[in-house]
Amino acid sequence: MKYGLVLYIFLMLPPVANLAESVMAIHMHMQMTLFVVVGVLMAPLYQKIFARFFEKWNSNGVPGILLFMVILGYWLLPRTMDEALSIPAVELFKFISLPFLAGVPLRDSWGKLSNVGKNTLYVLLSVIFGGMAWLYIASPVQLCNNYLIIEQKTLGWGFVFFAVSIMIYFISTLIIDPSDYE
Amino acid sequence: MKNKQYNSIAIFVVLLFGAILFYIGTDGFTAYTVETARVNKLMEENRVFPEVTLEDSKERVYSFSEFEGKYVMLTFIYTACSDVCPQLEFNLAEVYKQIPPKYIGKDIVFLSISFDPKNDDPATLEKYRYYFDSDGETWRLARISDQQQLDGLLMDFGVTVIPDENGNFQHNSAFYLVDPNGILIEVMDYEEIELAADKVNSILDSKVGE
Repeated sequence: MKYGLVLYIFLMLPPVANLAESVMAIHMHMQMTLFVVVGVLMAPLYQKIFARFFEKWNSNGVPGILLFMVILGYWLLPRTMDEALSIPAVELFKFISLPFLAGVPLRDSWGKLSNVGKNTLYVLLSVIFGGMAWLYIASPVQLCNNYLIIEQKTLGWGFVFFAVSIMIYFISTLIIDPSDYE
Repeated sequence: MKNKQYNSIAIFVVLLFGAILFYIGTDGFTAYTVETARVNKLMEENRVFPEVTLEDSKERVYSFSEFEGKYVMLTFIYTACSDVCPQLEFNLAEVYKQIPPKYIGKDIVFLSISFDPKNDDPATLEKYRYYFDSDGETWRLARISDQQQLDGLLMDFGVTVIPDENGNFQHNSAFYLVDPNGILIEVMDYEEIELAADKVNSILDSKVGE
């Protein structure tokens, strides 16, 4: 919780936020990802305070994961990244939505999901990231007015990295049984 | 059993929220990039071309009202550009060729405006126009020397220009059509030559034609 709060405040400091947003790949792959991490780190506190709420409305983890996917999908749109830079309200929504509507529900839901649910999510995420990689690398036009095409391609290769990493981890969970090594 | 019901309600609420969020975020699923949103908005707003002073390739200096009473087909370029601008101007030349000669010069003029006034002096523009068979008269190339006026125009027409370290610019490109009263009425995809030519011709036919 403490680390989450420190990281949260640090990320929102105007100089830090401006620096992170000046590079497209850092904006999406580092800043946004870290905001989700903030939510994941802070989740236990909210799970304690709102225990009844989570138990009642997110008992099987599906609503929480869907909410996570909705927020993730929203911030994958080229348009939202531009607007986060030009419209303060959208920037504020980014600061709030990524930790509290993506990070917190992700942690609350993850433990409740069945293996099938988790595996589906791994595959779905790598497919989505793979699709985004293709979009950003192959697009002949500038998708974000605030970023250069070359940065767009860098971002695309970042998505390749994410998609491949998730896939490798997913496959490893299938073929490696941790209890063999305990 | 009870929990299952709550879960379903929560799923419904989340999906509804998602639909609303995406609906608002994309102007009703019409604009996934800021550029599309910009173009949609520009055409709705009837922006007026601001009063700016142009200096063309023949060293003539005049204000934009020179073109009053005529449609003006616009592009924004800089001559040192090596990727998009030549393509943009080449495509503009194609559109120019598809406009019936009876309209050219009388009812419509073409104008390419440089946003790099420091480097694009009249001599440079004069050289540049040869590449695209522009006559310098019914298709003019001009710069706006006053940086403030230039910035105002770029802002009004939603042209984003980002300079890089090598003297190049990253910028968005389109064909802009301004009507005889100086109002921006169309922003067209510069890669769709036929579509742009058809649109301009149909506007000319209906507004000017017999």
